[in-house]
Amino acid sequence: MQVRLQIQRSDPATGETRLQLYQLDHVRPAATLLDCLEQIKDEQDGTLAFRRSCREGICGSCAVRVDGRTALACRTPVAELVAGGRVPIVAPIGNLPLIRDLVVEMEPMWQKMRSVEPFLRPSSELPRDGRETVVPPALLEAVHKEALCINCGACISECDALTVSPEFLGPHALVKAWRLVGDPREPLSKSRLKELSREHGIWECTRCYLCNERCPKDVDPRDAIAKLGAEAFAAGLTRDRGARHARWLITSARTTGWLRESELVVKTLGIVVSVTRIPLALRLVRHGKAPLPLPRHKASELGPARELRRIVAEQDRRGARGIVQGERVLARIELTHAPAQPEPETEDF
Amino acid sequence: MYGLDDVESSHDVLVVGAGCAGMRAAIEAHDAGADVALVSKLHPTRSHSGAARGGINAALGNASDDSPEQHAADTVKGSDYLGDQDAIELFCNEAPADIYQLERWGALFDRDNAGRLAQRPFGGAGTPRTVHAADVTGHVLLQVLYEQLLKRGIRVYEEYFARRLVIGDRGCQGVLAWDLARGGVKALAAKAVILATGGSGRVYQGSTNAHACTADGMAMALRAGLPLEDLEFVQFHPTTLFPSGLLVTEAVRGEGGYLLNADGARFMRHYAPDAMELASRDVVSRAEQTEIDEGRSVGGSLLLDLRHFGPEKMRERFHSTRDLALTYAGIDPLKTPLPVRPGAHYHMGGVATDKDGCTEIDNVFAAGEVACVSLHGANRLGGNSLMETIVFGRRAGRAAAEQALKRSGSAELGLKALADGEREISKLLERREGERPRAIRSELGSSMYENFGVFREAAKMHRQIELLEDLRERYEQVLVEDKGRVWNSDLTQALELGFQLDLALCMVSAGLERRESRGAHSRPADYPERDDQNFLKHSLVRWSNDWLDLSWKPVTITKWQPQRRTY
Repeated sequence: MQVRLQIQRSDPATGETRLQLYQLDHVRPAATLLDCLEQIKDEQDGTLAFRRSCREGICGSCAVRVDGRTALACRTPVAELVAGGRVPIVAPIGNLPLIRDLVVEMEPMWQKMRSVEPFLRPSSELPRDGRETVVPPALLEAVHKEALCINCGACISECDALTVSPEFLGPHALVKAWRLVGDPREPLSKSRLKELSREHGIWECTRCYLCNERCPKDVDPRDAIAKLGAEAFAAGLTRDRGARHARWLITSARTTGWLRESELVVKTLGIVVSVTRIPLALRLVRHGKAPLPLPRHKASELGPARELRRIVAEQDRRGARGIVQGERVLARIELTHAPAQPEPETEDF
Repeated sequence: MYGLDDVESSHDVLVVGAGCAGMRAAIEAHDAGADVALVSKLHPTRSHSGAARGGINAALGNASDDSPEQHAADTVKGSDYLGDQDAIELFCNEAPADIYQLERWGALFDRDNAGRLAQRPFGGAGTPRTVHAADVTGHVLLQVLYEQLLKRGIRVYEEYFARRLVIGDRGCQGVLAWDLARGGVKALAAKAVILATGGSGRVYQGSTNAHACTADGMAMALRAGLPLEDLEFVQFHPTTLFPSGLLVTEAVRGEGGYLLNADGARFMRHYAPDAMELASRDVVSRAEQTEIDEGRSVGGSLLLDLRHFGPEKMRERFHSTRDLALTYAGIDPLKTPLPVRPGAHYHMGGVATDKDGCTEIDNVFAAGEVACVSLHGANRLGGNSLMETIVFGRRAGRAAAEQALKRSGSAELGLKALADGEREISKLLERREGERPRAIRSELGSSMYENFGVFREAAKMHRQIELLEDLRERYEQVLVEDKGRVWNSDLTQALELGFQLDLALCMVSAGLERRESRGAHSRPADYPERDDQNFLKHSLVRWSNDWLDLSWKPVTITKWQPQRRTY
């Protein structure tokens, strides 16, 4: 099989980047993109720089962007990429500083992970028998997916919120956060949730779902963020702007069947800040991007909206257990061993 | 700009390698009061420990009646009586407490219905003893150890390529490393050094090991004059996916997967009628190789049948195994049996150490796959190596900290060592003509698989030694094409190849001298039997006067006299 790739090269001294075309004439049909990078380095160009180690999708070294989509090179069969004579572009992952060619500086990602204090803090009391903590297996299901994270940075690369707001904790650190908050052995969940609910925390995610889409280990980072949000709600941490925003969506849907966007700003930001946004609001109205506050938006039929809410409530999926999004996750939900115990209902969820 | 801190630093204890053994050692050395740092060519969570799938052995007795004594008896038998029984007993006694500690640190092990740690059956074990986290046990341990490292604020020199132990009057003075990201030699002085660099699997083509497993620590120890023990013993894992060599976990056999030959027969019936597919790894690998050599394979592979698991069991327990088969072989194990063959998997041999990981140089330690305690003897049992990283990583960390804290002043490497290190790298980078590493690496890998694989014989080993000498000569003129300093993996890969060539020569030399068949070292053509009279002893290889010096040392036997080993 013939493979042609355009690979982004860079000069570490100047930071300048360019695309370089490589052609391999003899590639095994079952080869991965990583196999091809290795072959190029071995046979054609020893100066090509990329990270790699396990070549089986567990070490998390070789995330790259292929035609803009982040993937592990070692888990990407190359035949599909070059089908029909296509010449894919291979570039380093996004939202992290470039070191050279396909190698980026991962430290900003690690720094954010460190900031969530990523370790369990078991209480000082040891089990009496000196053995393991007894934990029903169903409770550990809550963090099962998050424990699969291999720190490859694919979610960081794909995250639009991070591009716009570099201080955002980001999907990777939040996955780690849920791994700990959701662990039945962790005693400090509420104080962690409080920290995570601050600015640049869980509510800064824009819910684009690209992290779920591209995570090579099916960790579904957005789901972890949603679980954090749901648990923050359940713990009564609803004062943050993001939480107020979510709360208003529910109230608005329940009372009028619609999202009343003009009121949303006031409910989320408060009156004082909202006043400063009036010029922006007027510009939005002028361009047809926002409705006028009056007359009040109201659906002709309120029934369906309320019925939907009732169905969700009946399914007993409050808190983190309510976070079931996308087909892949639905497929996996059958695996839970025991039905979850209902929790007391909170105001809006 | 580069400051002095960029080129030189000093610690009480320096751990080389940041997989499970290295991180466990660093945590213990820190808790023992030492100033400790790790140096690793990979970020810690990218280490190859993370690829260990099936589990970690400790006699907790959760799934059946079990005891450390039974665990020890299984390990001794598995080792084909070459394991040192004092080390084995200590290991089996200390393992359960280490598991409870890992659990407490947050390791996400699977549970039984009572909420206790679940234990599964594994090859060579008389009872279900293997604690596990689905089929990602190593990954889970690596994460939890890294979390504990962060909790303690332990310094990691990440993506620094360690390449030499500097030896002086007071033993080891530290390590010279190459800073991959920025380029440049870094002198890491230390009062005690722990090698935890993992294995050497990449010496073989057809290995389950990561690209990074290039025998660095073993070769550095060799070059520092330390003896390497039992290097002839390489475990060939019976179920590596054809053709990629990727590992299919033993747990699939533990939970009912079986092996078929081209005639559709469960051939293990002829080789291990009781244990069948759960016989010790060396036994299963030899059975497979015999089936292949006698023409009962399917294109050089045997078939691992998991179809009877059904979708639910497959999803729940072996999600990643199915994923592996789909991605790298395009096969759904629910529908089609997987083509597997033996692949180089684990090096039982390594740097000779005592039970505290201490080597002949009293401030150099080793733990994990790089070391040879000897826990595994001639053959390792599945699930014992992850446990080894924890038990002996901890012990080495403790002992290294004590050794370092006894030494006054602060460790220094000095400018000369640094200048020597720079000069060597510059020399390599300035070479304009020579041979690229690829052909040398590929010939090394294929010839080792062919001449020093599952079965060995004198003629092939002699041929291999000649070939290795030739490859080593060619390596003298190896060409590094990348002349830059920033992220020059062309340079580090060339250095790795040098390590591998040194080690391969030691392995084959030791294998030639062991004129018997024991555990993973099998010579059916010339020495088909185990010979306790002459070879119930460990081989030791060291570098002296530019050539290899081979000697022997006795095996420690406490309770279990050698017996015929059958499963």
